[in-house]
Amino acid sequence: MTMTKYLLRTALLLCVLFVSLTACKKEDPRWSEADKKSKEAIEAKKQAQESGALPKPEEGGSFNKFFPKNEPGFEMIASQEKTGFAEYKLKKDGKDLAMIAISDVANNPQAADKFKSSTKMIGGFPAVDQGSTATAVLVGGRFQVKVLSRDASFSKANREAWLQKVNLAGLAAMK
Amino acid sequence: MSQSIFELINELPTSGVTVMSLKALDYIVPGEWQNISGFENMITLVTGESDQAMIQQIGERAITLYNDPAEGYQRAVWLYQTANSIGGKLGAAALANKIGESVSFLSFLEKITPKADKAQAIDFSIKVAAEIIAYAKINGIPGDGVAEFMGAVGDYGKESIMRLAALTCFDGLIPLGPDFLRKIEEFISGLVPNDLTSNPAFSAVSSMIPGGGAEGQLGFVQQGFNSIKGWMGNFVSSKGITAEGVVGSLKNYIDIADDKLDYVAGFLDATTNYFDYTGVQTVGRRLIERAVAEI
Repeated sequence: MTMTKYLLRTALLLCVLFVSLTACKKEDPRWSEADKKSKEAIEAKKQAQESGALPKPEEGGSFNKFFPKNEPGFEMIASQEKTGFAEYKLKKDGKDLAMIAISDVANNPQAADKFKSSTKMIGGFPAVDQGSTATAVLVGGRFQVKVLSRDASFSKANREAWLQKVNLAGLAAMK
Repeated sequence: MSQSIFELINELPTSGVTVMSLKALDYIVPGEWQNISGFENMITLVTGESDQAMIQQIGERAITLYNDPAEGYQRAVWLYQTANSIGGKLGAAALANKIGESVSFLSFLEKITPKADKAQAIDFSIKVAAEIIAYAKINGIPGDGVAEFMGAVGDYGKESIMRLAALTCFDGLIPLGPDFLRKIEEFISGLVPNDLTSNPAFSAVSSMIPGGGAEGQLGFVQQGFNSIKGWMGNFVSSKGITAEGVVGSLKNYIDIADDKLDYVAGFLDATTNYFDYTGVQTVGRRLIERAVAEI
């Protein structure tokens, strides 16, 4: 009986050790490199913001007033609000149609690069399409406004139309 | 920092008691929770994006956001993990307590374990407090004013609504019975600050609970429970959820030998980590939603 218990405990312990060792060693080559680089990038961004080389991002709450909130038949649900970022969910009849986000590129400066090759304007600002679900404009060189489809029925034309419902001019005048 | 977000999501098991127990609750919140395996899959599922270059950018931005301690996502994961492990520990204590009540030679366990219902009420209320704090860490306080904020909270869906369904069933209804909300309320309202500070479950998460001291923190825990009880009572009645119904559904997925609800609850508590599991999924989803908007 005692021997059985001892063996059982040893077996359990070995199992636990095995599981924890394999868990620690799991590497995913697609993301491991990005993971390492991100830590340096976070530090570099922090220093750049402290030295003034990079502007400090605006409060996410300061973007709320620019979202289109009174469109009949549609619901806008506040979704996230972090430093330099605010996002709303666009719903109709209880269904998620799209996400609409305003982000301060001070949080992620390379986000502005893609607008350099922009070939169209929306609401007077450079615009780009990204992947198959996103359309974005860069306002005042500083704020990215993006509409992301979350339903197959919400087309690129819908994204462009909703980008223009955002108070882009108001956002450009901020600061 | 221990693990990156892609590791946490990649390592979510796709089978086992936690997954089975969540599947068993699908009939309550149909289609909301999905057994997502792998970081890439989650990116595709959340964004609907299949462009590999775009997926790479989204993933890298999500990893960076998670790795920045100032963003609060790591703290949210820590809260979900810690509140979950507390549940496990208390669960073991509660099970031991039940054995102590029915088996005389183990009756000494009575002296070192809390009453099962008391342990359960603490476990429940601390998970509620952890949920509220984690919500704010992940999402901030979105919206202009109270009405918009309430709209944001009311939009709980996917793995978040599943987590609340599991909290309702596995930590409320099954262990404490149909009047679980009244039982928890009675217990929680009778607490004094010392009850909390001497409680190991509370101690584990107390550094994250606002209130500036034990009295204020007790107030936070009580208010947290009060803020969720109306919603939860309505959730149970509007969906007609019963302990028997949940256990019946569980039996389709897990071999539960005993019908005694206390034992089922103790078993689930000791063998599942639904709070941590769905918590990691929630953080992953929100990170991905933000990442795709910021790149």
